Amino acid sequence: MIRLRSETAKGVALSAPATLYVGFLVAAPLVILVTYSMWTQSYVTIDKTLTLANYREALTDPLVRLLMLRSILIAAAVTVATVALAYPIAYFIAMKAQRKTLWLLLITIPFWSSYLLRVFAWKLILGFNGVMNSALLAVGVIQEPLTFLLYNEFAVVLTLAHAWAPFAILPIYVSLQKIDPQLLEAATDLGNGGLERFLRVTLPLTVPGIVAACLIIFIPTVGDYVTPSLVGGSDGKMIANLIQVQFGAANNWPLGATLSLLAMLAVGFAAIVFVLSATGLGRRIR
Amino acid sequence: MSDVNIIQLVDVEKSFGSFTAVSNLSLDLKQGEFFSLLGPSGCGKTTALRMIAGFQDPTRGRILIDGQNMEDVPANRRPTNMVFQSYAIFPHLNVGDNVSYGLRHRGIARAEIDARVSEALAMVELGGLQKRRATELSGGQRQRVALARALVMRPKVLLLDEPLSALDKKLREQMQFEMRHLQRSLGITFVMVTHDQYEAMTMSDRIGVMFKGRLVQVDAPAVLYARPRNREVASFIGEMNFLAAEVIGEDAGTLTVKTPCFAPLKIARNPNAVGYGNHILTGIRPEQLAIGRAAPEGYDATVEGQVGDVAFYGENVHYHVRVPGVDRPMAVSVPNYFHTVDYARGDKVWLGVQGASVIDLGSEDTEI
Repeated sequence: MIRLRSETAKGVALSAPATLYVGFLVAAPLVILVTYSMWTQSYVTIDKTLTLANYREALTDPLVRLLMLRSILIAAAVTVATVALAYPIAYFIAMKAQRKTLWLLLITIPFWSSYLLRVFAWKLILGFNGVMNSALLAVGVIQEPLTFLLYNEFAVVLTLAHAWAPFAILPIYVSLQKIDPQLLEAATDLGNGGLERFLRVTLPLTVPGIVAACLIIFIPTVGDYVTPSLVGGSDGKMIANLIQVQFGAANNWPLGATLSLLAMLAVGFAAIVFVLSATGLGRRIR
Repeated sequence: MSDVNIIQLVDVEKSFGSFTAVSNLSLDLKQGEFFSLLGPSGCGKTTALRMIAGFQDPTRGRILIDGQNMEDVPANRRPTNMVFQSYAIFPHLNVGDNVSYGLRHRGIARAEIDARVSEALAMVELGGLQKRRATELSGGQRQRVALARALVMRPKVLLLDEPLSALDKKLREQMQFEMRHLQRSLGITFVMVTHDQYEAMTMSDRIGVMFKGRLVQVDAPAVLYARPRNREVASFIGEMNFLAAEVIGEDAGTLTVKTPCFAPLKIARNPNAVGYGNHILTGIRPEQLAIGRAAPEGYDATVEGQVGDVAFYGENVHYHVRVPGVDRPMAVSVPNYFHTVDYARGDKVWLGVQGASVIDLGSEDTEI
């Protein structure tokens, strides 16, 4: 048995598992990524002289800029759509529903099947001969299949919004659940109708839940590559698809590492700006 | 206080499914009075208050405020404001914004709002704390903010739901006086719900005592204490020694009763008590029994007993004295005049009582 001699030793021992975990699974990969980004690919070998050439290349390439901007815009659209749809559901479960546990269980049902299967399901629904087109044709609303349903940004946003819904519902539900019902009664008592009460009490008190939901959806969505490659077509490609190509077909790991780091920076920046402005806005509601 | 009825409850009833929370509640409250609804938890007093506020609709009956039927008036349009049990201070707003909450977005000029908020905060002795964050307030300050936020609306009736129950004893006693003072100087009708008899007695002009959804007695605190309607009220308000008694003589204003331990006593009829027969229940407050080593002189009746438990309260001492013929020991409260505890467990003592201090509780429920 190890005898711990001092408080310091005890402290080090207690924090060791977390330190090792973060060190090996977060810090080390990050160091490797940064190192790679400063090397260069010369045909099949890697030139290990440190240089910023990759950054120069990435930042001047219009394709990178286009894909980065598109990724952020698509992720923003997914976030807005998901949170806007999730809020009423969370509100219903927290404020109106009798069987909250049952409803929460129902919300998680999509997770019982694989994410890939769910994306494929959307392909079946939105495709040229898919459920949607067949139904509309059968009813006679349209004469020939609609082609704008699949293989574009719309399909990406729709698929992701469906996939992320529970992640938005849960944090908003928790923040709604925490509101003391007497606060709502106090607002009514002080003259508020239902809508005014919602805007002046419920909404500002759920800002933390909304912010959490937005971050949970926005951050991973920017870097998603499965959905865009399956339902995005050429118009729906995102930055992660380009990164994937660098590590795969193009075999340019250094450029891939550079693009990953730039994407992380862009996401981080967008997230910080968002959190600051959202909490600031929340505080201005009085 | 004036004779105008500011609130009238007419045969109000509230049921939740098969459970009747409030039944047949009829009550007239005067403009400017401090009224308390007192009762144990679950007696329906909070439900009654919430029906006045409009948070719950009566199953039957009518509620009128200032002569106007409130049936179709939602809570946010009623001329009442409420101090909630948890105070319900908006955590995302500072003190000033909390107090001005009901005034803002109403087309009232900024300058007037500011003036009214300052006035309300000064009233509750929180002047100048407008910028303080709600999360930085102590319990007593939260209570004052809740009070200011309601009073700034200039309601016809202020409703208070257990307003002091979250405060510690010292602060509670201080707030009792402050709130009473505030109510007198503003002349607004206060309706308070409480389960604390001392709180109700020190603050109220009148108290309504509720049990199991029924309003049992409405009276001024002193009347409630001296002339409780029945055993329920008598035991809920203050302490009481109960004695079953046989009526052996009666005339217009008095009854002559024989209790198991005292010689026959001539006692006043209680106009509030109901049900008469040969057997009634009587009550004696602990502070109205005299105690001594020898039979106290000048008392209408005396009895010898033995001291059981002794409880020292500081301002007075309680002796539990066993007397022949009575199952439960009689509680006797003696003021602590000279910092002495005069009797110990096992001591032989004499108790004395005046007929005038014995309370007639009627025969509604004579069993002890």
